[in-house]
Amino acid sequence: MVLENATIPVPLIDQIPLKVGARYPEVFNHFMHEEQIIGKEKWSIDLGQSNRLLFTQLFSSMFSDFMVIDADSDLDALMLDAIIEPSIDAFEFSVPSQSQTDEFAVWIRYRIKILDTAGSTVANWPIAAYGKSRTATFGNDAALQRAAELAMRDAAALIILQMNKATTIRNLNSQRTARSTESSTPLPE
Amino acid sequence: MNRFKYPKITSQFMICIIAMLLSACVTQRVENVRQGGTGINEGEGIVIMAKSYHLGNQTEAKFISCVGDAVSRGQSALRVIPNQEFVDALFPWFEPRTAPAETKGLPALMARPRVAEQIESAGVRYIVWLDGDTDRVDGGGSMSCAAGPGGGGCFGFAWWQNDANYEASVWDLTGLEDTGTVSADVSGTSFLPAIIVPIPLIARAQNKACNALANQLKQFIISEDVT
Repeated sequence: MVLENATIPVPLIDQIPLKVGARYPEVFNHFMHEEQIIGKEKWSIDLGQSNRLLFTQLFSSMFSDFMVIDADSDLDALMLDAIIEPSIDAFEFSVPSQSQTDEFAVWIRYRIKILDTAGSTVANWPIAAYGKSRTATFGNDAALQRAAELAMRDAAALIILQMNKATTIRNLNSQRTARSTESSTPLPE
Repeated sequence: MNRFKYPKITSQFMICIIAMLLSACVTQRVENVRQGGTGINEGEGIVIMAKSYHLGNQTEAKFISCVGDAVSRGQSALRVIPNQEFVDALFPWFEPRTAPAETKGLPALMARPRVAEQIESAGVRYIVWLDGDTDRVDGGGSMSCAAGPGGGGCFGFAWWQNDANYEASVWDLTGLEDTGTVSADVSGTSFLPAIIVPIPLIARAQNKACNALANQLKQFIISEDVT
């Protein structure tokens, strides 16, 4: 089962005035999870590029200036305030035969690392997202897919709600201001 | 000689009598508790949402759409804004994790950027929060079926009881207050007798609860009394 292009609506938030780059791990290009239920069927879910698309959409809405960077990007030339490295720590799901309900549930544990322009880790934030969906409404494959979409949407809501409190990323703006003030102050003769 | 004439019993009449005798059994109780005044103006609408599953709520998506359909049809129909459209337009403030659990969270929510404007432009006057679900609470009997070269059939009797218990809290987004609750408790016992052919007599508890709750909700919102 392939989850294609999970998206989030445009959030109703004020953007954080920062120039931010996101570096995605390779797994974000093609994430797949399989689970063999003991004595029962094997389930698999293919998130494809959904994580990459989700985080790109989310960070574009959250920050005034956002770009995706890779290992070859010239960070000095880009003049970023912060680098974000999201990753997946764990992905789990339960199917109706396990929970004895008619529900599929998906748990995703993401990790958001924030680095400053010097490459030092400013924050290392684990987040747990959850989504569930009923088989009666969607059918088995669609219900698992819907639960995964809801978990990703839950992660996006949590990141919007808690990002600054958990990582103090907004402070990197004042660091930039301080840096630019220092560089523009004439040296004493 | 006067001869007493028995009424002519038609086949349709017999079918009606048999259907009544064989029908499943349903009991229902619908109540409301009013805490504030309601009423709705031209152009205003409601949105029907499930309470968050992060809080343990199990309300079925099909029940929410059933109540929405029933409220928007018939006498005293109300304008119902599709809940997914509303949740998407206000992302991320009505997600299961972020939606306000109590009305005291509404002022802070309305103060967030563009939230009040978005709610006003959608014309949402009330949010109806649904809580509850339908459960199979009892059942019994047995049935066996067999098939052979000459045909097949079933013999036996099975029954089960479904309880549909739902509560709807009505929040007024104009006054930022909880105006009260409407609840519907429906218990239905279904039967499945089988002598060669099984005859299902299904009690649609959830469907009854949906219609009862929707009708009561319409009256609750339209009525401007404060008692």
